Amino acid sequence: MNTTSIFIQTLIGGIGIGSLYALIALGYSMVYRSMGLVNFAHGSIYMVGTYLGIIWYTGLVLGLHVSYPVAFIIGVLLNGLLGVLLERIFRPLAKLDLMFMLLGTIGLGFVLDNLAVIIFGAEGFAVRSPLPNAPINIAGILVLPQMLLLICVSALLMVGLQVFLSTTKTGKAMRASAMDHDIASAMGIPVNRMNALTLAIGSGLAAAAGILAAPIVYVNPAMGAAVGLKGFAAAILGGLGSIPGAIAGGLVFGVVEAISAGFISSSYTKGIAFFVVVIVLMLKPSGIVGETVIEKV
Amino acid sequence: MFLKIENLKMQFGGLIAVNDVSINVEKGEIHGLIGPNGSGKTTIFNVLSGYYKPSGGKIVFDGKTISNLPAYQITAAGFARTFQNLRLFSSMTVLDNVLVGMGHHAKTGLWKTILNPVAVQREENIFIEKAMNFLNLLEVADFANELATSLPYGSQRRVEIARALATDPQIILLDEPAAGLNEIETEKLREILMKIQNTGVTILLVEHDMKLVMGICDVITVLDYGKKIAEGTGAAISNDPVVIEAYLGQEDL
Repeated sequence: MNTTSIFIQTLIGGIGIGSLYALIALGYSMVYRSMGLVNFAHGSIYMVGTYLGIIWYTGLVLGLHVSYPVAFIIGVLLNGLLGVLLERIFRPLAKLDLMFMLLGTIGLGFVLDNLAVIIFGAEGFAVRSPLPNAPINIAGILVLPQMLLLICVSALLMVGLQVFLSTTKTGKAMRASAMDHDIASAMGIPVNRMNALTLAIGSGLAAAAGILAAPIVYVNPAMGAAVGLKGFAAAILGGLGSIPGAIAGGLVFGVVEAISAGFISSSYTKGIAFFVVVIVLMLKPSGIVGETVIEKV
Repeated sequence: MFLKIENLKMQFGGLIAVNDVSINVEKGEIHGLIGPNGSGKTTIFNVLSGYYKPSGGKIVFDGKTISNLPAYQITAAGFARTFQNLRLFSSMTVLDNVLVGMGHHAKTGLWKTILNPVAVQREENIFIEKAMNFLNLLEVADFANELATSLPYGSQRRVEIARALATDPQIILLDEPAAGLNEIETEKLREILMKIQNTGVTILLVEHDMKLVMGICDVITVLDYGKKIAEGTGAAISNDPVVIEAYLGQEDL
């Protein structure tokens, strides 16, 4: 196997894990944009979403074994509902100082993590892939089918989100409400409902990421911590509050991680990836896409 | 009575911004609200549009008390407004800015968008046609597909009025629509306001351009330090010694 194909293989792995980070980063950025709130519970929401889908697939609920796509949809919808509930909790928080938002959302994350431990136990489990487990060979490049599925479905979701936000009435109302709460409500848009929808979509995307990644990673109640942090870093890297930025940030973060693991050393992956984030932000503080962030007062 | 502001009081901590103000607005009139800076005009607008809950008094619109409704429901009840400083949705086109104002009249929701896209498209086309009518009325239809913030200042002001009209209001609150306009643009604005009045929409106007206010308002209410000090036609107001003192007093500062 030559260096080029190893490189491409690493790159695909990076794009796969990067898609996961991008979906998480979208949750951070969308909520920040519309509520001015950084949701540090998002990593835990990703973990909860993973469980809400995977439990139906692995027979943890009444011994049911629904098919993977059905479990995927159930998980995404249930986590979306959780997002709607979260809006009620975040509504008063969003009006407070950064410190209170920080404590409130981190605290909520702990509650969710510990609830998961109480319900499912601290130990995790591996999830059987719905697709064949052996890598497939495309022109000399070996790829896991589940990884391809992760990349394709994530791409579809991101394109879908963009189309939804830019063409549908509800999408436009959401954008309007994120741009200016006062004007949006003067236009007859229920801003709280738009925020709830934003949180529902963010949480749904997190669940989608988690359920798609479940057969590759190990599902356990602590799985949200690292992914939540990296997703947040990715959102900042792309420019917090920007939707294309979240996607770009996630992909860059994933690819840097994969390349440093493949060509430098897997022990330094995190260090190198975060180092790149620091360097990028030093050069371009508003992130890769660099949308000017509107200061919410 | 169409719009009745009854003994309205708005207090922020120790500051009383609006103190026991009552105003009656008749259907179809252009009602001016004037007064020196800080006299409470914009505060009244903010209470009317539901951003502030009044500390006292109430607002009755078409027989219903609306002062306790959230802002978006007040819009649904027939209120629209523009803002002192331009606040268009900056990353949207002019047309989209206006379409956003029509959203709450949509009969097709999110689910229908997915299940029956044809019906939604039909409705969308009707909306676009209506939006273009408003843009035509305000003479900014040529800019429909441009980014809102790329327009000249005077045109952005008119887009803002078109956007407010798109919510299909019975009454529109205009907060200093002539601010920053030159004489020709102000004259154009005057014609537009008359056209809006002719469509049956009541106008409540906060404005510092006295020539414009005196020229088009049927009734003018004068505020000073949060209190109503006079009310009447332009001619009556401009000869009222209390009003003259309020304005000259400010000039002495």
